[in-house]
Amino acid sequence: MATDWVSLATQLIWIILFILIFTGANQKIQMRLWSYDIRNKLSVIKSYLEQDRARVERQLKNLGVKSPDLLIKRAMDFFIIQPVDIEPTDIIKRLEHLIITGDKSFRKMVEQVIPTSTKYERSLVETGLSIVGVMNQIYKIVRHYLLSGEKENNWILLMQLEMSMPQIMRIVETYHKSLDAFLTGTPIGDSVGPLVAYRLIELGKVISKKVVEDTSITELWLDDRRIYVIKAEGPGSNVGRPGRVLYDLVEELKGGVDLVITIDAALKLEGEETGEIAEGIGAAIGDPGPEKIAIERATTKYGIPLKALVIKMDLGEAIHTMKKEIYEAGEKALEYVRRIIIESTKPKSTIIVAGIGNTLGVPG
Amino acid sequence: MIFDQNTMLILTLIALAILVIQLYMEYRRKPKQAKYIPKEVIVCKKCGYEAERDYEPGDFISLVKGKCPKCGGELVIKAIYSVKLEERKT
Repeated sequence: MATDWVSLATQLIWIILFILIFTGANQKIQMRLWSYDIRNKLSVIKSYLEQDRARVERQLKNLGVKSPDLLIKRAMDFFIIQPVDIEPTDIIKRLEHLIITGDKSFRKMVEQVIPTSTKYERSLVETGLSIVGVMNQIYKIVRHYLLSGEKENNWILLMQLEMSMPQIMRIVETYHKSLDAFLTGTPIGDSVGPLVAYRLIELGKVISKKVVEDTSITELWLDDRRIYVIKAEGPGSNVGRPGRVLYDLVEELKGGVDLVITIDAALKLEGEETGEIAEGIGAAIGDPGPEKIAIERATTKYGIPLKALVIKMDLGEAIHTMKKEIYEAGEKALEYVRRIIIESTKPKSTIIVAGIGNTLGVPG
Repeated sequence: MIFDQNTMLILTLIALAILVIQLYMEYRRKPKQAKYIPKEVIVCKKCGYEAERDYEPGDFISLVKGKCPKCGGELVIKAIYSVKLEERKT
């Protein structure tokens, strides 16, 4: 009797399975499971977003802003439309114009709300708001694809989203944690380029210094050579405009430069060690284009050798407080730069060293 | 194909065991995230005294932070970095 029941149940299960497979209902169940999982992860993103928003709000209140909601709302939805790329003529100029206008507008927006605060404090608020903006953008995009997939019963879309969720969550967590560094002002991994540049300034005999477009140019004498050190003006959260400034400096020197070296943090491949130093040729700078092309154009115009030194790290390490390994790699990179300079140039040469990256926590 | 109750039970137990093993493997695969705390290194430019201490918000490299306990010279922040919390305890 019991065997009959077991047999009946087994057959029933098989029949149900066949019906599910032939009607496509199994995919609907799979879709529900994916949808449920994505919703759970989306709620985690939302909670991170709310936490980050609250932290920036607290920081603004500490700076005397009574109702920071309006500024946060404006900054969260702030966007820059990419230039037309089917007509490439002047695209770099157009992109540069849009980036500069975007930066200026964003800064003006913050400055109007906290006019009495220092440039350093404003830079931290600006970056904090940018992080909240990025988190908000990711949240909205994930929600959009989830709702679209559900509405149109598009299981391919949901499957793609479900498969991408681990990567998306890793990026979200990275940005969420990076707020610690940007609200307190500790140097981040990306600050290693400006840190090497600053150490070089400390070592040499400074002849002159000027600041152009949030970027400092320090002329110094070191190892019997004239070195111009370019870096974003610190110690606030700032990347400056090293490409444009380098271009103008090369023009000002009428091409009389024997070597250009760029130092930057570079994203490591999986398996590579954090803090690994690599030497190469080209402009080590990760901007959308205008800064990098300015360095390439200046060096190509006058035939100046362009060398690059990179310090490897992952995205999290690049935007979180600088790890000790990266700091130590920066100290090694300093010696490396000096060696390159001595090996590649003769005494009395003129060299430009550009420390690329966010100079948070690093002065000069 | 007819299964008796014992066979069904064994099959169910095997399926459950596979599920538990897979879940355990998945749990082990996730790397545990280490906690980091920010530290700063202060140095006396006069006598070379050096010490590592907790980072204070708003500090930056080259900021003058009080007097040297040895010679009374100016203490300057030389470095700011984060270290693994576990390493500090051991």
